[in-house]
Amino acid sequence: MPDLSQFSLPISIFLVVYIGFMVFYVLYSLFNIYHLIRYGVYGFGLYLLVTIFTMGTILLFFGSVSLLSGYNWQYPITLSGIMSSNQSIFPGL
Amino acid sequence: MFHLDHLPDQRPNEHVVLFLRRQWFAVLTIVVAFVVLTGVPIVVGGYFWDSIETWLAHPILGPLIIIVGTMYFLAIWLSVFLEFTDYYLDTWIVTTQRIINIEQEGLFHRTASELDLAAVQDTTAKIDGFLQTMFTFGDVFVQTAGRKEHFHFRDIVHPERVKQVINKLVEEDKQRLAAGGSMVMGKVKTGTK
Repeated sequence: MPDLSQFSLPISIFLVVYIGFMVFYVLYSLFNIYHLIRYGVYGFGLYLLVTIFTMGTILLFFGSVSLLSGYNWQYPITLSGIMSSNQSIFPGL
Repeated sequence: MFHLDHLPDQRPNEHVVLFLRRQWFAVLTIVVAFVVLTGVPIVVGGYFWDSIETWLAHPILGPLIIIVGTMYFLAIWLSVFLEFTDYYLDTWIVTTQRIINIEQEGLFHRTASELDLAAVQDTTAKIDGFLQTMFTFGDVFVQTAGRKEHFHFRDIVHPERVKQVINKLVEEDKQRLAAGGSMVMGKVKTGTK
């Protein structure tokens, strides 16, 4: 029987979920911006709205990228590693 | 994008008299939801910062927390943008000859209807409840002759004043058509995109 405690995956697997979410986010945002520009009434508010949304998105995205860049993405996730680290992170366990 | 001085299917001598959106209370609701949904996790995070700092230093838990956190805040940001778009695209335009009602329901449903002023039979303004009375906003219902369809101006400012303006424009439009010898029964045209 295979030893499951030795099974490992790099933590870069988390990035797949992150990238998937970002693709959905960008597509939905672009569709919404298209809607605003196509059907909105011409005016300063329209450009202000799109600019604020884009700036907020850029800020959140690059903020998270800068925080994530400090981690070792090859670090393996193993069952034994998770069980041992639980005790140091959650002392009550 | 359209300009108020170049409406879709603009008629000769037609100009915009009222351009209406829901009252600022609708925007306030979106802002309060945004502040609560972003503020609560930030405050809780600040309170338990010692534990969170330990978790962020962990090689597996750290990136997981940052990714989940980023997705959470981006989802709120996108939801606020969608809600605001919905508010921004819901408009009622009253011109000297017709009423145009544009409603955005979600991202994939949009209704644009128009009604000739000459077809308006009845206009009703309704202010209901403490908040609407305090901040002078409410609803206006525009009913057409012999039809079940009606336009519902939702949560607009000064509904009584809007009702008076519409009634005045309806009278003027009927007189204009009568003087031109071409009194027509107006109709509601509805288009969905």
